[in-house]
Amino acid sequence: MSTTTEHDDFDVDDRELTRFDLVREGARRDGVEIVHYAPKFPVPGTSREKRVVRTIALLFMITGLAGLGFLISYIWWPYEYKSGFNINKYYTPMLGITLGLTLLSIGLAIITWGKKLLPDEISVQDRHDQIADQTERKLTGATMLNMVDELGVKRRPLLAGAALLGLAPVGALAVAPIVGGLIKDPHHPDVLVHTGWDNKLTNNGQPIRLVRDDLTPIRPEDVSVGGQMTVFPGIAGGNTNDYADSPTLLIHLRDTDADELRANLPHVTDNLHNMYGNLVAYSKICTHAGCPASLFEQQTNILLCPCHQSQFNILDNARPIFGPATRRLPMLPISVDSDGFLIATSDYQVPVGPGFWERP
Amino acid sequence: MVAALALVGGLYAAFAPNVQAEDPTTLSGAAQQGETLYNQSCITCHGRNGQGVPNRGPSLVGVGSAAVEFQVTTGRMPLTQQQSEADRKKPIFSDDQARDIGAYIEALGGGPQLPDGTNFHSDGDIAAGGELFRVNCSSCHAFGMGGGALSSGKYAPSLTEATDRQIYAAMLTGPENMPVFGNNQLTPQEKQDIIAYVRHQTDDQDPGGFGLGHLGPVPEALVIFLVGMVALVFASLWIAGKS
Repeated sequence: MSTTTEHDDFDVDDRELTRFDLVREGARRDGVEIVHYAPKFPVPGTSREKRVVRTIALLFMITGLAGLGFLISYIWWPYEYKSGFNINKYYTPMLGITLGLTLLSIGLAIITWGKKLLPDEISVQDRHDQIADQTERKLTGATMLNMVDELGVKRRPLLAGAALLGLAPVGALAVAPIVGGLIKDPHHPDVLVHTGWDNKLTNNGQPIRLVRDDLTPIRPEDVSVGGQMTVFPGIAGGNTNDYADSPTLLIHLRDTDADELRANLPHVTDNLHNMYGNLVAYSKICTHAGCPASLFEQQTNILLCPCHQSQFNILDNARPIFGPATRRLPMLPISVDSDGFLIATSDYQVPVGPGFWERP
Repeated sequence: MVAALALVGGLYAAFAPNVQAEDPTTLSGAAQQGETLYNQSCITCHGRNGQGVPNRGPSLVGVGSAAVEFQVTTGRMPLTQQQSEADRKKPIFSDDQARDIGAYIEALGGGPQLPDGTNFHSDGDIAAGGELFRVNCSSCHAFGMGGGALSSGKYAPSLTEATDRQIYAAMLTGPENMPVFGNNQLTPQEKQDIIAYVRHQTDDQDPGGFGLGHLGPVPEALVIFLVGMVALVFASLWIAGKS
């Protein structure tokens, strides 16, 4: 730095100088003044010094043993999962404990060494001024302008054009994911308004059965009174992620509760003919953020979504009564076919899941 | 006179068996024991002959012995106070007494019953039970059996303390706000599979330390942040302060 003073009177080859004199001079040329420097143990070989040395040695021994323990556990400790209480469950803890002990004892050894054995030292370093002087600024400015000049963009227009042309798509890369998220999926143009229950799209117009997760069809009496069942469209792949918007909660209400829901059906004209007996089927996809709103309280007749605590009143067309959801859960129109299995008479009449900007 | 006596005698003979049929003394021994217990501890809220008392306790006709056994052996009944949900607590009645009360309630109006035995997990298929658990149970009772919150102060309880019979009874009867999983919906074998899975999960040792309630990554991160980071901060303060 510019704070250095003249050192011409200092001769590094002077045989009179000790090594510490050189150290002190080196620090001084870096702007650091050593004002106090004294060894921790002026008389070597005292019992106190020996105790400190032994402590540090012990810490290094622990480091070695723990490191060895880590290697041994890593290679030979049984790690396969076995049910119940057994030493296999301690595989990960053993790795953690041994490695932790290794690092801890290395750290303690180095800290002890530094604090207990190295000399006491007080050094002073002056801060440099906050604002660089005028000369320094001019020099830096010239350096930067020179660099731009040497690139020769003005003299070589082809290079400038090529660089600009090549870098423009890189900018487009950054914009792509943001804009891409706003474009409708061109492969499934109807994905937002149709689910797997749309029999014209997925089942050649044949009615779709309600099935369990193992694709077995369901009779109305299979669902216990006060019980619920997650059902899927009975089509190929209906229980897979290809139809992730189709899971539906089939609920068997008690007589009095079913009567109350039937009285409330006219609140939503789409739902008028959707119940079958005391059975009602709601989309399992929460209208807030798309979580499975499947926590069914059979006494209070509330469907609860575990993600953000939206609650839907089952007895009033799944009206949202608490939490961030603002729309009712869509109700699937159900009936039974000639074999006595439950079917969906059509797709959901309103889109399932969270709202989107083109929602009809 | 003789004719009149004969008529009265005949009438008595004709009607007496009917009268006796309605007499509670025809209850089985266990049900009689249960009736005594019921009349001491349950009748206040559930009324005479389990018919219920409006605004105090529901009718127990038709709930079955399974429901009684679940509520009584988990200590939920008798209830200490009316609240959003009955908590599991130390049961007041022994298992045998609970079964006696169950026999009495069963005699009043039938209802779901538990199979015999106390071990429903040995014959279950843990893998199949795991799949059924994730489809039917995990949304409320959580993947680690820790339970979770429901609406308005209600909650799905932890399954760690539940016995095989209690889990079976809960599925069969749907206590409080739990949905009912009758035998049409989950066959007895499927129920045993689920119990085997729950037992396996609750009895297994947590690999690598404390389970923290099996509530998942949120409490784990919280512990790391609050305990681990605070420890590190104090350690660095100590190192800096000593030099």
